[in-house]
Amino acid sequence: MALSVWEHLVGQDRAVVLLQQATRAAAEIVAGTGPGAAMTHAWVITGPPGSGRTTAAEAFAAALQCPAGGCGTCHSCTTARDRTHADVEVVRPVGMHHRVDHMRELVRRAALSPAGGRWQVVVIEDADRMEGTSQDWRAANALLKAIEEPTPRTVWVLCAPSLEDVLPTIRSRCRHIGLATPPVAAVADVLVRRDGIDPTMAAFAARAAQSHIGRARRLATDEGARLRRAEVLRIPTHLSGVGPCLTAAANVVEAAQEEAATVTGPLDAAETAELARALGQGSSRGLDGRGRAQLKDLEKDQKRRATRIQRDVLDLALLDLLGFYRDVLAVQLGAQVELVNTDVERDVRAVARASTPERTLQRIDSVTACREQIAGNVAALLAVEALTVTLR
Amino acid sequence: MRFRVERDVLAEAVAWTARSLPSRPPVPVLAGLLVEADKTGLTLSGFDYEVSAQVRVDAQVEEPGRALVSGRLLADISRSLPPQPVSVTTEGPKVLLVCGSARFALLTLPVDEYPTLPELPHVTGTLPSGLLATAVAQVAVAAGRDDTLPVLTGIRVEIEGDTVTLAATDRYRLAVRELTWHPEQPGLSAVSLVPARTLADTAKALTGIETVSIALSTGTAGEGLMGFEGQGRRTTTRLLEGEFPKYRALLPSESSAVATVDTAVLVEAVKRVSLVAERNTPVRLTFAAEELQLDAGTGEEAQASESLPCTLDGEPLTIAFNPHFLLDGLSAIDAEVTRFSFTAATKPAVITAGGTGEAAGPAPYRYLLMPVRLSG
Ligand SMILES: [Zn+2]
Repeated sequence: MALSVWEHLVGQDRAVVLLQQATRAAAEIVAGTGPGAAMTHAWVITGPPGSGRTTAAEAFAAALQCPAGGCGTCHSCTTARDRTHADVEVVRPVGMHHRVDHMRELVRRAALSPAGGRWQVVVIEDADRMEGTSQDWRAANALLKAIEEPTPRTVWVLCAPSLEDVLPTIRSRCRHIGLATPPVAAVADVLVRRDGIDPTMAAFAARAAQSHIGRARRLATDEGARLRRAEVLRIPTHLSGVGPCLTAAANVVEAAQEEAATVTGPLDAAETAELARALGQGSSRGLDGRGRAQLKDLEKDQKRRATRIQRDVLDLALLDLLGFYRDVLAVQLGAQVELVNTDVERDVRAVARASTPERTLQRIDSVTACREQIAGNVAALLAVEALTVTLR
Repeated sequence: MRFRVERDVLAEAVAWTARSLPSRPPVPVLAGLLVEADKTGLTLSGFDYEVSAQVRVDAQVEEPGRALVSGRLLADISRSLPPQPVSVTTEGPKVLLVCGSARFALLTLPVDEYPTLPELPHVTGTLPSGLLATAVAQVAVAAGRDDTLPVLTGIRVEIEGDTVTLAATDRYRLAVRELTWHPEQPGLSAVSLVPARTLADTAKALTGIETVSIALSTGTAGEGLMGFEGQGRRTTTRLLEGEFPKYRALLPSESSAVATVDTAVLVEAVKRVSLVAERNTPVRLTFAAEELQLDAGTGEEAQASESLPCTLDGEPLTIAFNPHFLLDGLSAIDAEVTRFSFTAATKPAVITAGGTGEAAGPAPYRYLLMPVRLSG
């Protein structure tokens, strides 16, 4: 049996209830049978990385289009899933940011009525990554105009890590859905049910990934990813001098690049093949100059995306490190919580014995600062080198 | 899927449908052209999320079916076919096209991923395609091009019984065209806002059809869409939402001065004068009893000037315009003689086709142009 669109969300019962209420209210508006008070034109979905922000936004978008509220099987639901539905647009940053000219074009498209007579849904992934400075907010302000003067049947769904990441003037016009960090057991369960992963491996991966669903799946299915994680977790016990610190930093950055390549490689290849075929490759006559130019453009976009994914993967590595020091702190404070990194418990306890809670808090702050630097586009290797040296 | 179709029928249908294919498809399947064969014929469809185009033609269908193939390639191939019947067959992942001794194989694209096409709204009336194309082109010229002001990028279409009024404005000019059409029901009243560029392209693409049916949502099907149909061709476009400026209040009901000028002579003069002046320099028009003087430039040092004959009924006046906007209006009226109606040098002027007196009633096409404030 096919899954309804909601079943792709893991451990988000509260958010699902709210979005289903909104879906029913939206159907009332479409049918003209009620005021649809639970529906509104702009939403912000927040949650930690890996909690399923985009999944939630896309499920909501599909549900709004489906006559049955998100059955998962009708043509509307399957085209929403395939990202070809005329009334569902998922906007991703091309490089590190959403470009201001793209946002302006979006403002015009958002003013159009839906093609299918229901809703036009615009999902903005990473709404915290907007081109512009903290003074001019150029891309965000272009978007603000459209959200301020809503089109009756256009729905905006912005995804961001937290509400603070969204311009106050925008977020004040949006209804907020906060996603929880899904329970480790729920993530493990979905890995077993959906991906057919062995329960022991699923439990390990869910815990080690700190409930980041995509990362948990990768850790469970890719030995390389597990090895790279182990490499990162060796760092706290192998920082004897500046030399090892620099080596460790280089290893971490290199591992992130490798891991990113395992993600982008197959994705790029599939996208390129699909577009090439649509433009005539493999048919009589084949690609023409215009088609080849479009493939070149796709390649450029893919390169920009690769840079972003490398940074995202590096951030996950830093989250592993953060998880390690949180475990250290828990041990130092004698907290009765389950450790994240049970597989390296011996190292956690060794570091706990060799330092103080104050020192651990400093280290946690250093890792957090490094994550911010990387999000702020500082050269990755420099930032991680500075980190490993301060962690020593 | 297996069918036979006349070469010219196929080539024309493909060319017309391919018109709406996006030049840069946002998703690969939109580069595809949907080919559907049923017992009674062949349907070809293209869609770019905003505009859909569909053609229905006769074909001998031996086996009904559907396939999605690269639209540009199909257009390219069908243009080059020899004048013989074409047989089209799906074979595994390919569509084979055989015409005389020519054989082509096209890889199919995933047809299940192709989006649902918009439903055509109900037909509400008809008009000659040439009239539609002319009227739309006259109005589209005044539409805005700023994506962040979507309402101004549209053409407002007002239907009131047998009168259709088209209007567009970018805040610097306003173009209004009235025309008579044949509504399906008397007393029909409807208003919509259609993207100007799309409407202009659509109207142009429909000129091969004699009479165009216009379809507008009446609440049940095709809400938020406008459709056009004729001779087996149909196209839909999504409408713009938003409050169009209350433009009727801007059209002056009377004038204090009226001037007429030979259009071609004026166009050439404006071009010459504005060519000499710096970019975006307003062109100044000084209307006297029998002479219109044109100059461009700032303050004392006019960079270029020229004079030409005119007639003036009213007080002489000097008024300045953006030369591009003025030229747009002069070419849109499509008349040998241009008529300017003024209320004051600081108020918008109305450009209409000259030659007809006031008694003829309001001109079917009016181009209202905001003057540029003169410095000093
Ligand atoms: Zn469905």
